[in-house]
Amino acid sequence: MNITEQAIDFAGEHLLLTNQRAVYWQRKMALILSDLHLGKAAHFRKNGIALPGAAGIQDLNRLEFLINHYQPEQVIIVGDLIHADINKEVTSFVVFTQKFPGVRFTLIKGNHDRFSAAALKNIGISFIHQELFLDPILFSHQNTGAASFTISGHIHPGVSIQFPAKQQMRFPCYAVSSRHIILPAFSQFTGLDTASVPEDAVCYALYEGGIFKVKN
Amino acid sequence: MRQKLEDTTGYQIIAAWMRSRGNTAFSFQQKAWRYYARGYSGMIVAPTGFGKTFSVFLGVLTDFMNRPEAYKDGLKLLWITPLRSLAKDLANAMQQAIDEIGLDWTVEVRNGDTDVKIKQRQTRQMPDVLLVTPETLHLLIAQKGRDRFFRNLHCVAVDEWHELLGTKRGVMVELALAFLQSQYPGLRVWGITATIGNLDEAMDVLIRTSEKKISIVAREKKKIDIISVFPDEVEVLPWAGHLGRKLADKVVSVIRNSRSTIVFTNTRNQSETWYQLLLEAYPDFAGQIALHHSSIDAPIRQWIEESLSAGKLKVVVSTSSLDLGVDFKPVDTVIQIGSSKGVARFMQRAGRSGHSPFEVSKIYFVPTHSLELIEAAALKEAVKTQTIENRDPMVLSYDVLVQFLVTLALGGGFRPETMMPVIRSTHAFSFMTDEEWKWCISFISTGGATGENYEEFHKVVQRGDGLLVVEKRKIAMLHRMNIGVIVSDAMIRVKFVSGGYIGMIEEYFISRLKPGDKFILAGRVLELFRVREMTALVRSSSGKAFIPSWLGGRLPLSSNLSQFLRQKLALARNAVSREPELMFLHPLFARQSEHSHIPAEDEFLTELIKTREGYHLFMYPFEGRQMHEVMATLIAYRISRLYPISFSMAMNDYGFELFSDAEIKLDKGILQQILSRENLMQDVLISINATEMAKRKFRDIAVISGMVIQSLPGAQKNNKSLQSSSGIIFKVLEEYDPGNLLLRQAYTEVFNHQLEEHRLVAAFNRISNSKIILKFATGFTPLSFPIKVDSLRQSLSSEDLASRIRKLQENSLKTARKKR
Repeated sequence: MNITEQAIDFAGEHLLLTNQRAVYWQRKMALILSDLHLGKAAHFRKNGIALPGAAGIQDLNRLEFLINHYQPEQVIIVGDLIHADINKEVTSFVVFTQKFPGVRFTLIKGNHDRFSAAALKNIGISFIHQELFLDPILFSHQNTGAASFTISGHIHPGVSIQFPAKQQMRFPCYAVSSRHIILPAFSQFTGLDTASVPEDAVCYALYEGGIFKVKN
Repeated sequence: MRQKLEDTTGYQIIAAWMRSRGNTAFSFQQKAWRYYARGYSGMIVAPTGFGKTFSVFLGVLTDFMNRPEAYKDGLKLLWITPLRSLAKDLANAMQQAIDEIGLDWTVEVRNGDTDVKIKQRQTRQMPDVLLVTPETLHLLIAQKGRDRFFRNLHCVAVDEWHELLGTKRGVMVELALAFLQSQYPGLRVWGITATIGNLDEAMDVLIRTSEKKISIVAREKKKIDIISVFPDEVEVLPWAGHLGRKLADKVVSVIRNSRSTIVFTNTRNQSETWYQLLLEAYPDFAGQIALHHSSIDAPIRQWIEESLSAGKLKVVVSTSSLDLGVDFKPVDTVIQIGSSKGVARFMQRAGRSGHSPFEVSKIYFVPTHSLELIEAAALKEAVKTQTIENRDPMVLSYDVLVQFLVTLALGGGFRPETMMPVIRSTHAFSFMTDEEWKWCISFISTGGATGENYEEFHKVVQRGDGLLVVEKRKIAMLHRMNIGVIVSDAMIRVKFVSGGYIGMIEEYFISRLKPGDKFILAGRVLELFRVREMTALVRSSSGKAFIPSWLGGRLPLSSNLSQFLRQKLALARNAVSREPELMFLHPLFARQSEHSHIPAEDEFLTELIKTREGYHLFMYPFEGRQMHEVMATLIAYRISRLYPISFSMAMNDYGFELFSDAEIKLDKGILQQILSRENLMQDVLISINATEMAKRKFRDIAVISGMVIQSLPGAQKNNKSLQSSSGIIFKVLEEYDPGNLLLRQAYTEVFNHQLEEHRLVAAFNRISNSKIILKFATGFTPLSFPIKVDSLRQSLSSEDLASRIRKLQENSLKTARKKR
């Protein structure tokens, strides 16, 4: 796997946006990501849609790689950890979290995470918040319009890019405005929303080979 | 000894009834009745308007009257039509005949529009004759206790079989018939079709297991009069699309001189445009003109159809939405805007005028650019020689099969070992292997082999008695909603703020509009107020507005027509031609031969044109846009193998262009090389982006096989957690389950329908047997100009993504501008 970084200054802090759909915040030793949608493939299968179960595993492999690379003290998941219901794919997340006893897994609850704190603790999430303020940044699943510097997820931002000869391609991206970062969905098994990206945002588009800046 | 049919009571009653209406039976009708009485299945081939329906329907009635003891209570005749709108009028006509003859049979319709109460009553007590669509038939098979519907069935009639053949709906019919015939062995199957190129195959696909079968072809022919509408002058550099305005006045006068007219266009966009054009050219049409296409709300369409039947409308502008359907008796004129691109479609449309037997169908051909007049000449020739396209049946459509297997499981279950030979008895699946069958069963029962260690898969389960059944209610509900193979884009309903629906429009079009933007739908200027759920609220407005361009608007030129096109063009080499279209185009041809060349039938023309912008290579295979897309990519690839070069490509139905800012170095030797038929398919596969094409094909497959749940307008959005795009699923399958049969089907469909291998090979064979002509020019020729100005372009580049992005970044990266 190839990690390419794009350094940005946000809220006076130094953040690394990676092409692997997660942000690293050195000062807090925090790996930040959103919209993991655990158990999505299993949820589909349970409802009679035959997806290969391996689809969800790759996201976790990527997360493992990132944790080993940055050695963070905490992983902050900015919502939508779980896609729909607690199924085998979700419960096996505890096996994953146990691999990293020194890492705190923190969840900011998203609209998909309608589960009790006990259920979430069972799969290895140590801290659960509706919103979390780590001075000077507020973490919130959806943009609340708060005045603080905010990092959120939820919309799965994407950007459509025009190539010569009228070709278009879509990429997942970070949408970065002066006071707000919207994270790309960590799970690859998700769609893209190119319409809801704020108009004043600078997009950092990502693909397996790298990350690049796009003016809106 | 067998009694002669003419001497039977049944026949005499029917004959008397026909006489009372002033009709006599056509000989093909009598023949059909005779064979029906003898227990045959069969196929009737006859032009519209000659009583095809009655050839089968009255055959069943005659048989019933001759041996009523053989007919028990319940459904006796099942009538499959491709169109809902066709069913109601057909049912009325049948019921009227039954009543007048004095029988007590009832005829009813069952489809998506049928009231729930009526459906429930039918489920308890079936009528004697039921008219359904292929989808409704599958829904009946999905009902528990389905046997009670079908056990007294004598005959299944498949109407407009030519419309279903060659589509996945045709495969649905094949599967349903195979199932019914396996359960009820004496069942007779009768197909009804218009003339197509492969009639023998059409019958072979429809009637598989009946031992006695007969094809009955009516001798009666429909006379078609084709009249070209000429512009006042020839434009020697034709430009696709813009000729319309100049011809509007001529079209108006044709309409005014007719009783009632249908104006056929090829796209919804074109129909909206022509509706406006005609109103502008002749405002008095207001109130007598209507617009009919598939995006217009069904009740409005129905009103239009009724008004047209009643003679209340002077003119209806339509798309293929009016190709089929009931007779509009008052319609005496049909106008075709632009080429219909196919012979069958053209004849079908012409047949909408002068509907009764022996009346002449009159169709006016209005070119959208002057070169299209050659197509008119080609169409005339094709109609004269009755050279009508084949409808090639689809095979091995596993998406339809897995859907049908769940349908069977839902309606009481099935045993894999007994169902396999039934499925294999169809034409579509006759070459299915044992492994493929096992894959389909595992796909619906365990979710594919790869998932065994994973979360339980719930769709179809094997009961203790060995039957595969559906047990979960939610699966059953999702499946019923999903039955069918017509996949459309996500649609949004358009509704007035004050109430009242106008129609449907693709979500992606609306998503590009802001509140306050204006667009045109159903001939009205609408201002977007807001979008809520799956509904766009609008207000009436006026002034300038966007006309939505809907996807998939371009029809590909059929190979039959392209052959005549080459012929007619070659004819134009002679200064004296008696055909009015060719005579009219003479100045254009003169310019073409002066600056370049007009290819004879055994020649292949290539033009190399240098302009200030760069170098343009034009080739003219006359094989249709779709084929040219593949050919252009292939030729670009073969040239770029000789020396580094990047191209952009454009194409129309006549030829294609490769355009580069660098010099395209060519001579006869290189031309022979790049047009060679050697390694043809290998080179095609390397040059095209097969993955991208397969991904597009997978869109439908994913929905039909139940992997993507369609969001239906108006439906509750409670399945949100199960929604995903086919693109994502395609990616997942490519990565984790490359052997997936549905994925492989996507590639096969690309190969068979997009690349059309046999047609491509035939084209290259023809080219390599032709004399290759290379002409140099400094300005655009009449043949090249329309390609050059075509707006749709593609490019071929051998660079990888990273370096393309780098290149872009150097030229200041911009997001795609939101286009309308």
